[in-house]
Amino acid sequence: MGALVTSCQKLDIPPTNIFTPDIIFGSEAGVKSFLATIYRGLPIEDFKYRPDQGFKTGGNDWENFFNSASVTGEEVGPFGGMDIGGGFGYWPYGDIRNVNILIEELPKHADKLGQSNVDALLGEAHFLRAYYYFGLAKRYGGVPIVTTVQDPGAPLSELQVHRDKEEATWDFIGAELDLGYQMMNETNELGRANKYAAAALKSRAMLYAGTIAKYGSANFVDGQARAEGFAGIPADKANGYFTKAYDAAKLLEGHYSLYEKNSDKVQNYVDLFLKSESPENIFVKQYSIISGTAHSWDATMSPRYMTANALTRSYPTLDLVQRWGNLPVTNSDGTPKRFNDRAELMQGLEPRLLATVYFPGATLRGLTFDMQRGIYPSFSGTAAAEVAKPANSRSYILSGDTKTLYQGRMIIGFTGPWTGGDELTRTGFYVRKYIDAAKPISTVDLNRSEQPWIDLRYAEILLNRAEAAMELGNAGDALTVINMIRNRAGATPYTSIDIDKIRNERGMELAFENQYYWDLKRWRIADVVLNNARFKGLMPYYVFNENKYIFLSEPELFQRNYNFDKKFYYEPIPGGELGKNPNLYPNNPNY
Amino acid sequence: MKKLISRILLGTTILASSACTKIDNYDGPNASFEGNLISSEGGNLLTSQGSSQIRLEQISWSATPSPQEIPSKFDGTFKDSKLFKGTYKVIPKGGAFWPLYDTLTVDINKGTKHDFTVTPYILIKNFTAVLNGKTLTLKYTMEAPIGAGLPTIIETQPYVNNTKLVGAGASIRDFSDIYKKAINKEWADMTDADKSVTIDIPDMLPGRKFFVRVGVRLNDSFKSSNFSEIIEIDVPAN
Repeated sequence: MGALVTSCQKLDIPPTNIFTPDIIFGSEAGVKSFLATIYRGLPIEDFKYRPDQGFKTGGNDWENFFNSASVTGEEVGPFGGMDIGGGFGYWPYGDIRNVNILIEELPKHADKLGQSNVDALLGEAHFLRAYYYFGLAKRYGGVPIVTTVQDPGAPLSELQVHRDKEEATWDFIGAELDLGYQMMNETNELGRANKYAAAALKSRAMLYAGTIAKYGSANFVDGQARAEGFAGIPADKANGYFTKAYDAAKLLEGHYSLYEKNSDKVQNYVDLFLKSESPENIFVKQYSIISGTAHSWDATMSPRYMTANALTRSYPTLDLVQRWGNLPVTNSDGTPKRFNDRAELMQGLEPRLLATVYFPGATLRGLTFDMQRGIYPSFSGTAAAEVAKPANSRSYILSGDTKTLYQGRMIIGFTGPWTGGDELTRTGFYVRKYIDAAKPISTVDLNRSEQPWIDLRYAEILLNRAEAAMELGNAGDALTVINMIRNRAGATPYTSIDIDKIRNERGMELAFENQYYWDLKRWRIADVVLNNARFKGLMPYYVFNENKYIFLSEPELFQRNYNFDKKFYYEPIPGGELGKNPNLYPNNPNY
Repeated sequence: MKKLISRILLGTTILASSACTKIDNYDGPNASFEGNLISSEGGNLLTSQGSSQIRLEQISWSATPSPQEIPSKFDGTFKDSKLFKGTYKVIPKGGAFWPLYDTLTVDINKGTKHDFTVTPYILIKNFTAVLNGKTLTLKYTMEAPIGAGLPTIIETQPYVNNTKLVGAGASIRDFSDIYKKAINKEWADMTDADKSVTIDIPDMLPGRKFFVRVGVRLNDSFKSSNFSEIIEIDVPAN
C-alpha cells in the first residue's frame, strides 16, 4: 500500500534510451559523431562511387572499375555504353535534414561549446549543405531548397516543397559557400573542410553554373521545365558566375601550392596522389581497413599478374593518351616504327603522362607490363593499311592464352591484351594514377587500399581559375596559371592560350578523377563527342623475323559504341519522389 | 514432433482460409490504341525502329501520371493492345518531324484508333540504289517541306542490313556507319550540291540479299533522323 502511494511522482523525465539534442550538441565529441554521419553521406565521387548505382560506403564495394571514365572515352570497359546517363535517382534530403538539424541546434548550445566553436561548426555545416546541393544541382538543375527542419506532422502542402529554379539553386550554393568561407577556420582536422575547401568548391560550382548558362543556352532540349527556369540558366548570367568562380579560386592563392617535392618529375606526379603531406590537398576523404571502409583501387586497376587477388575491367584509351599528342609509333612513310624494346616508346614522353598511365614496358612491383597483342612472323606495308584489313586476312598470330607459344615465344603477354575475358587490358594501357607501387604484391587485395581520395586539389582550382579567366577574356592570367600546371607536369610551357588548350589541359591533369563526365556535360559537348563514338587502343606486336616490336593504333578490343542523348544533360527527377510530391513537376525535358 | 507439424499445418490452414477476402475488381489492361503517323507530304512517316513514339499520360488515373510511350514501327504505324481503359493525353514525339505542342485528349477503350499528321523535317527524294559489280551506289536528294527554322543538318548515312528491319540501330556497321557523311550546316546554307548525295559502298558480299535505306540526321532535341524507303538488293554470286 505504501509503495503504491509513493510511486509515480515524476513522469516527465528525459528518456534514457535515446539521445536528446542536449547530449549530442552539448559536447564537441557529440557534435563530431553527428558530423561524421553527415560527412559519410557526402556525394564525393571517389574510388567507390558507381555512377549507375550511387555512393558506396560499405565494406565490400570493391568494383572500383565501374567509373564514369569508362563511358566517356577516358577509359573503356565495364559499361556497354552510356549506362549512366539517367543517373541513379540521387535524392539526399535525409542527409540535408541532418545538416539543417545541425544548423538549427548549434546556436542553442553556445554556452557549452563556446561561441567561436559554434561559428566554425556552423560554417562547416553551410559548406556541407552546399556540397549536398551541388550534388543535386549538377544532376537535376533546379531542386527544392529546404533550409529548415521540416516537422513530419505538418500539413502535406507544407511538406511538398516546390522545385526552385536552377539559377536560384546555384545562387544558394554560392551563398552557402560564402558563409562557409567566412565562418570556418584556416585549418581543420584531416578529412574535414576548412574555409579554403569552401572557396575551392565554390570555384568548381560557379564554373559549372557559368558554363551551363553559356553553353546550355545554345544546346538544349526544349520543354516545360526549361521554359519555367527549372532546367537552364539565362545566358546573360554566365559572366557573373565566371567572375565568382575566378574570385573564389583566387582566395586560395598563397595558401596552397602544387606538389613539387621530388625532382624526378614522373615520381613527383605519382607521389602527389599518395603523399598525405602534399600542400596541394584541400579536401580529402580517408579510408581504413580497420573501420571496413578501405577501397580496392590497387586491386582493380592493375592486372592479377601484379596483385594478390584482383579483377580489372576498365582500361585507358589511346584517345586519352593522344590528348598529349600523337605517339611516335609511325614513320613518315606510314610504316610502323620498329622498337628494340617496348619500353623505348616511353622515351621523351611527358612525365605526367607516364605517371597517369602504365605503358607497355613499364614496371610495377618488380614486374614488367609485357603487353603484346600477338606476333607477326614478318611485317610489311603501312600501319594504316594493315589495320584496315579484315581480321581474317591479317597475317598476325593471336592466342587465347599465355601458354601458347610461337617458336618458343609467348604470343600474348601476361598483362594482355586479349579478348578471352575482361580482366586483361583491351587497349594496351593500364591506369597508374593513385596506384601505390610501394605495396608488396601479397598485400594488394580487394578492400585493402587506404590511400585517401583527393576530392579538391589545388591543380583543379588553378584549372577552374584558368577556364573562368579565359571565359572572361583574361587570357594573360589563364596562360600564367596553365603554365604553372604544365611546368609541374614536366610539359613544355605554352606561349599562347585558347579555350581548347585549357579544356585539354584539364582533361590531362584530371584524368580518371571523375571530372570529365561533368565537364562534357557542362560544356554541352557530350552529345557531339559521344555520337556513336568508338575509341582506340595501342596494340603492341612482336615482329618475329626482325626481332622488333611495333605498335598499331586499332579499335579497342571491346568494340563498344558510346552515345549520349541530349536529354541526359539533366537527369530525370526520381519517379518515386514525383509520386510523393507533385510539386516537383514539371520533370526535366523529354522524360 | 508430429504434434508440432500438425499445429503448423493448422495454423497455415487458418491463415490461408482467412486471407484474400477482397477481390481485385479492376479491369485488366484490355484496351488498345493504334494508328498511323501520317506525313503531311503523303504516305506514312518513314521511321526506324522506335525512332518516333506516341507518348501517353493517363489523366483519368492521376493528376500527375508517369508517361508511357508506344514506339512506332518501321512503317509508321503504332499499336499497344495492353492499355488500361481510361482518358489519356497523347502526343507524337521523338522526331524527325516538326514538334507538336498540343496534346490530344483521347478516351482509350477496346480498339481505339487515331492517326496523327506530322510534317517531316526532311524528305528524301529520288532515292536509287544501283549495283555495279560489288559496289553499291546510292543517290538521293533532300527536300525540306519547311526550310525556315529547321534544326542544323548534322550528317547523312546509309543503313544496310540483311533483314527488312533496317535503320538506326539496325544496320551492319561496316556497310553503314563508316560511310557516314558529315554535313553540319544550316538548311539555308546548303547548296544544291550539298542536298544531292552520292554514296558508294564497295565490297558488298556476293550471293547475299541486302536491304538498304538512307537517313539524314538533324540536331533537334532527339537528334532524330528522317529516312528513305527501303530498297532490296540482291548481290549476284561471283
